[in-house]
Amino acid sequence: MTSQPRPALSGIIGHNLPRWLVLTLVTLALLLLVAHPLGWILWNSFHDDSTKELTLGNYQRMFTRPSLWIPIVNSLLLAFSVALFSTLIGVPLAWLVARTDMPGRGFIRAMTMTAFVTPSFIGALGWILLAAPRAGWLNVGWRNLTGAEGQLLDIYTMTGTIFVCAIYTVPYTFALVASAFDEMAVELEDAATTLGAGKWRTMLSITVPLASPAFLVGFILSFIQGMTLFGVPAFLLTPSGTRVVTTQLAEFYQLFPPEIFLAAAYCMPLLIVTAGLFWIRRRILGRRQFTTIGGKTRRTRRIALGARARWLGFAFAMIVPVTAVILPFAALLLVSLSKAWGMGPVSGNFTLDWYRWALLENGETQRAIVNSLLYAGIAASVCMLLGVVVAYISERRLFSGAAILGALATTPIIIPGIVLSVGFFSAYTRPPFGFYGSAVLVIAAFVATFLPIAYSQGTTTIKGISPDLERAARSVGAGEIRTFLSITAPLMRTGLVSGWLLVFIPIMRELSVAIFLVSPKTNVMTTLIYNYKDGGNYEAVAATSVVLLAGTLVIVLLARLLVGQGSRRTRKTPTTDSAA
Amino acid sequence: MQSMTRRSLLSVGAAAGVGAALGIRPALAGDSALYEAAKAEGELNLYWGSYEQKTIDELIAAFTARYPGIGVNLLRQASQTVYTRLRLEMDNDAVQCDSLGTTNVLHYNELKSLDALRPYKPAAAEMIPEAFRTLDPDGLFHVGAISLICINRSASVEGPKSWAEMVGGGFAGEISCGSPAHSGDVAHWTVAMLAKFGEDFLRDFAAQKPKIGQSSVDSVTDILAGERTVGASAPYSYTLTQKAAGNPIDVTMPSDDAILNLGITGIPAKAPHPNAGQLFNEFLYSPEASQVLVANNWPSLRSDVPWAGGLSLDQIGWYRNPAEGLTEAMAEAIEKWKDIVA
Repeated sequence: MTSQPRPALSGIIGHNLPRWLVLTLVTLALLLLVAHPLGWILWNSFHDDSTKELTLGNYQRMFTRPSLWIPIVNSLLLAFSVALFSTLIGVPLAWLVARTDMPGRGFIRAMTMTAFVTPSFIGALGWILLAAPRAGWLNVGWRNLTGAEGQLLDIYTMTGTIFVCAIYTVPYTFALVASAFDEMAVELEDAATTLGAGKWRTMLSITVPLASPAFLVGFILSFIQGMTLFGVPAFLLTPSGTRVVTTQLAEFYQLFPPEIFLAAAYCMPLLIVTAGLFWIRRRILGRRQFTTIGGKTRRTRRIALGARARWLGFAFAMIVPVTAVILPFAALLLVSLSKAWGMGPVSGNFTLDWYRWALLENGETQRAIVNSLLYAGIAASVCMLLGVVVAYISERRLFSGAAILGALATTPIIIPGIVLSVGFFSAYTRPPFGFYGSAVLVIAAFVATFLPIAYSQGTTTIKGISPDLERAARSVGAGEIRTFLSITAPLMRTGLVSGWLLVFIPIMRELSVAIFLVSPKTNVMTTLIYNYKDGGNYEAVAATSVVLLAGTLVIVLLARLLVGQGSRRTRKTPTTDSAA
Repeated sequence: MQSMTRRSLLSVGAAAGVGAALGIRPALAGDSALYEAAKAEGELNLYWGSYEQKTIDELIAAFTARYPGIGVNLLRQASQTVYTRLRLEMDNDAVQCDSLGTTNVLHYNELKSLDALRPYKPAAAEMIPEAFRTLDPDGLFHVGAISLICINRSASVEGPKSWAEMVGGGFAGEISCGSPAHSGDVAHWTVAMLAKFGEDFLRDFAAQKPKIGQSSVDSVTDILAGERTVGASAPYSYTLTQKAAGNPIDVTMPSDDAILNLGITGIPAKAPHPNAGQLFNEFLYSPEASQVLVANNWPSLRSDVPWAGGLSLDQIGWYRNPAEGLTEAMAEAIEKWKDIVA
């Protein structure tokens, strides 16, 4: 890490007005988007739900009743397991795709992105069809094949829940780590090779450590996903009576009278856990250098795996495509093409009616498709802009309180969507804002929720860019803003597009944060699909899910075309085995 | 703005046809002043948890056909979610809701205690089944839906004929059920079972190793998927709709009474379009609305329109939890459920 020399306070404003203007705007945006709604959540947490009076009772209840702290323990278990598995699968997967000659790399990349695009609760529905103990198609197939009486799989367990959460979280780790591998220059690897290191030693001592900021962010984001996902545990853990934080929160809201203020208090331990994770990340990475983008020509080199290892690698890389995309979507596709899904795939039960209904007849779905794409597009763009600027200010330590901005930008992600939804409601419904019912409020909530991803991605990308390049620009007279715009931002392009997708996709998948903010005119696809599921209309759920997936994939493909398949600055050399 | 779909138009047309055939004529008198006032308001925000998407869509289509010039915006979410939304709006002085329709009478008791409902007397009140004509003596809330909770079963099995038979041991491992902690209908059913059979019912029920989901419709899903063959606390109307679509499922009216949970509706005191809200709520008692309900296997809200299959309330045994002490009974039922069942 290198820091800029801090100019003396006197005269700063006069000398660098644009810099202070940007700082003021960013600080204001963070206060409005993060501090204000979170302040409401904190304020609410100290109030009694029935008397509305100030109290510490919510916190007291939380720690004295086992029924309230057991879900927190369950969530920690779920989140840690999800983070562990998605790292164990995501990191090797990213390496195989980005740095080796494994066959089908483009296909694996595309399928992993498809898994990313899939809301995990839809994946859970698919897996219920596949692995419900008695009627799951895989279990039926297993019994028919082996004559066994029991079941091969039971999705209604903690293991099943960890599995489904993990396969839909792997793409986070994959996208972050693959992006780091894509960006990495080979000079250091070449240096290691010159000094006699073999290809595996080079990988373990150079490549992997250089990408470790991405691993860590991937682990933390996966952990947070495991803590905040609602749909998967709601569908898969309810039959066993196992509660996690998000299902317990849903219960607070679903019971009469709802316990909204208790729910606010219930989120506060999560904030401490997340703060701890980011603190650990800072401790590990803070003083080390991870510069991978310097001023010299860069090229990546693929490692030749050898005939057997290539196909072994391919088999491993197919785990996510098969479990997160091919199997569950085959099940959903079958349901979406059925007149009555309970009849099964028999002749006469085939129809395209549900697609016609979703795309042509149902005005609500049409509006929700447009809303989802529009809001996610705008929110992801605002989010990235803000996240990257905050990351830049914080990483280059442009002023002494920069770390506070970073901390603010990191906070919202751990607050489960349903609670954040109420925070935004409280913050922006009253005058002078009065945003309730408008698209602005939904977009603002999306920006705040996913700002930590944008900030993390911004930080990872900036950590990889040598400040020398900026210093060169500064030394020939460019100001900070011009340097950022003409040197740093263009170097970050690939990272920015990956980051944009890392925000856009989760917004498309997000279920809970919109729940109290959408109006009939600003409804989005996920809330609509969840309502159809709530009404038991599985054919409609399946058809709209397929439509949501297709719509998101089109945007993802367009975004990738825009940057020419990822790292366009990197001239890839033919596969070599020079290190061997 | 709710758009009219071809399917909705067909259904409204069919409903009008059936209505004419039955000799029922739309009651036009008396509502023209209300209609004019509603038209002046221009639009209407419905916050409804009663009725599934298709039925409420068709009700809106029929309403729009009958009363052109009023845009209808629908927020259809689970009953408790729309109620929490309204409470948040009230707390922040930003009420948008013009008509609330949920499956929990406790919502309306609370709103009444907060003086947050606007009274009205439906013009067609005398057509509402007598038992539900005067839910609130002050006219602050009225019946919006009749939800019957019964037993459903895979079409390939006989299934139990009564609640008592269901927990008698012959259906162990075969039962699917929602949870009272998640669903108002299931909570009402649990209260009713405790009232009729006592705590032993829950013990016997737990001994059958039921699969517990969230919503009452989860039993339909489990039966259609083949995961279970019998559904407790099952939705009558939704099951019949699935049967009509061709799915191998059916309902059994338990001989020891179906449980009836009313959907209730009311107009918030601070509704921005109160006349339009009232016009919609009154429309629910019209012959057109009844025909939409019947076409979707819902009990009609008029005593002169028989349900699908020619049924009516007088022909079935039903039980409804008394309103007095319901808040405490619900909380107690959920606690007992958590202790004994899941």
